[in-house]
Amino acid sequence: MINVLTILFCLTLIYLAVTTRLSAYVLILVVQGALVAGVHALAFFSDFSWSHLIVAAAVLLVRTLLIPAYIVKIIRQLDMGHRDRTRRYHPGFLVQMAAVVVGAFLISHQLSRFTPVNVIPFGAAVAGIAAGGLLIVRRRLLLAHVVGFLIIENGLFLLGIGVQAQMPWMIEVAGLLDLFVLVFLMGIAINQLKSQFPEAEGAELTVLQD
Amino acid sequence: MITTFALLILPLIATVFTILSSSARANQRITLLVGIAHLIASLYCLVSLRDPFPNGWWLAVDPLGGFFLTILAHTFVLVVLYSPSFLQRMQGREYDHSKRLFYPALNFYLLANTLVLVVQQFAILWVVLELTTFSLVPLIFFYRSKESLEAVWKYLFLVSLGLVFLFVGVLFLGISARGISDYTAFSVARMTAAAPQLNPLWLKASFIFVLVGLSAKIGLAPMHPADIDATSNAPAPVAALMAGSLRSTAVLVLLRFYQVVARTDVQPFAQKLLIFAGLLSLGVSAVYIWHNRNFKRLLAYSSVEHLGIIALGVGIGGVALLGALLHLLFNSFGKAALFFMAGNIHRSYGSREIDAVTDLLRRLPWSGFVWALAFLYIVGTPPFGIFFSELFVLRGMIQTANWLSLFIFLALLMVIFIGMSRAVLRMLHTPGKSSAPAVADRERLNLSHALGLYAVAASVPLAVFQPPALFDSLHAILAAFGVKL
Repeated sequence: MINVLTILFCLTLIYLAVTTRLSAYVLILVVQGALVAGVHALAFFSDFSWSHLIVAAAVLLVRTLLIPAYIVKIIRQLDMGHRDRTRRYHPGFLVQMAAVVVGAFLISHQLSRFTPVNVIPFGAAVAGIAAGGLLIVRRRLLLAHVVGFLIIENGLFLLGIGVQAQMPWMIEVAGLLDLFVLVFLMGIAINQLKSQFPEAEGAELTVLQD
Repeated sequence: MITTFALLILPLIATVFTILSSSARANQRITLLVGIAHLIASLYCLVSLRDPFPNGWWLAVDPLGGFFLTILAHTFVLVVLYSPSFLQRMQGREYDHSKRLFYPALNFYLLANTLVLVVQQFAILWVVLELTTFSLVPLIFFYRSKESLEAVWKYLFLVSLGLVFLFVGVLFLGISARGISDYTAFSVARMTAAAPQLNPLWLKASFIFVLVGLSAKIGLAPMHPADIDATSNAPAPVAALMAGSLRSTAVLVLLRFYQVVARTDVQPFAQKLLIFAGLLSLGVSAVYIWHNRNFKRLLAYSSVEHLGIIALGVGIGGVALLGALLHLLFNSFGKAALFFMAGNIHRSYGSREIDAVTDLLRRLPWSGFVWALAFLYIVGTPPFGIFFSELFVLRGMIQTANWLSLFIFLALLMVIFIGMSRAVLRMLHTPGKSSAPAVADRERLNLSHALGLYAVAASVPLAVFQPPALFDSLHAILAAFGVKL
């Protein structure tokens, strides 16, 4: 079941490559949040304790509800429209994303020969981290950068599962709180940037240079 | 344990108080009071603690933490003393909100940094390190200009991205300890004791991720740009705080991981990485210092240079590690003096451009004098502290016969010295044009100059007389890395 959920996670990454719709970005975050919460709940099911349930619930709350809702609020507040206007659909991005996913699974497979890792969750995690980075590099819209960052964070969460690393629940929850505050601050910054750089759709940050 | 909690409770109380209080004067007083109390407690830790691996809960102060707490508290007190004059000259309604947030953010900064310095659990370190980034957001965004906004965005984004790498490093460290320790008992003391049993492959991978992740926060090349933008666009007291203490806090996190690595066969690999990062930072700063036309960015690149020297010292090891620790301390002194004067110059000339600042010694005699003195300090002129710490690093390179690093190090120091001299001497002596912006009346000696003079002068007795209280503590720290001098 964990493998099914992590493969679904990889499919969201492919969808990320073919869409430029802002609502699709939010949908991807919601689905990924639910998937990683599910993976967490299942991964530690055999070793059940209330703390696992707390972490899974916190993940579900923060990653599928609070953060996406906040991003929707920013999109509406700034009247950003329906799609990322700084970018059109480009098949090259899809090819790159597919290469990232395949490459991540090959790395995971190779690594599993030397050290105990769960091949599919580990591969999906590496793919998530690389895909988030790719989105940040390929898109100019700052909101897309935030989405990229959140996808990296989702990948990171899966990485913990992939290497069977179970953090104390307090640290997991503190990490989630950190993430939420970070996104909140980024949202405020985007708000301010949009008001200060109304001319640039992507709010290109090129004032500070050497 | 009581001291540890006092170190955390004091800034927490001050944060809450300054949020609730609307009196700027009361906020300044409580912040200063807490800063001084924090400094006393930190000094107490520095002189009294000798056990490198205290058995405690997740929070404890060891000699290494005590040393870094002293750097933090000392810089904080200097900044709080300088801040009223800075806030006073920020007139205008556009600054009201920033001024209101200034002291709460400053106290929260102290709290967040203290937390990082006393946490002894690897898994928590990355969470609390993010708090230091949050505390800086309102401080960097003080001017509410396009530049400061861009600086905040880049800093927030890139440093947070760096901390993701740090988390991967923590995970890998955990994998290297599989079967020895789980993440609930992931303390520095336990991991250091278990170091020889760690899986070297995962430990290497962990250290790479930790170093890369922390580079953005420390300001090491090639992850330095966000830090440069933030430091150069933040107000002078905030820039002094970042250059003097925040980078040190991030270095401490790196040293916590290095403590573990130093007891394994992975140490030579980590040393090579640190030496490479150090020399690369020196190289990058040499290039940009030579070409820079903005004096605050010049100082920010000078920080990259000095953090590079620190990374180099840690990488070389032995007596160079002692040099690196002293360099952290002395760099915090020098950066406070330089950024305070940079603030004075910026206010008077209304520009951060080197070309716009002319005839500094005649127009702003005190600021010009302290600026010149602090410049001599930061480029490592004797008898200032930086000279001695660089000497220790050099000695370390000679002792380990690291001739190539020595040659590159000296060559780059020379280039940086010439590059900084060009800029500083131009500011001090170039005659002003008639079109130069008008500056205020001839300046008088004020608290900012006194603070700058104190900062550059205080390092001399510390370096020359080497007080036993400080050096015993430094030797206890070195023992934690397996170094005996």
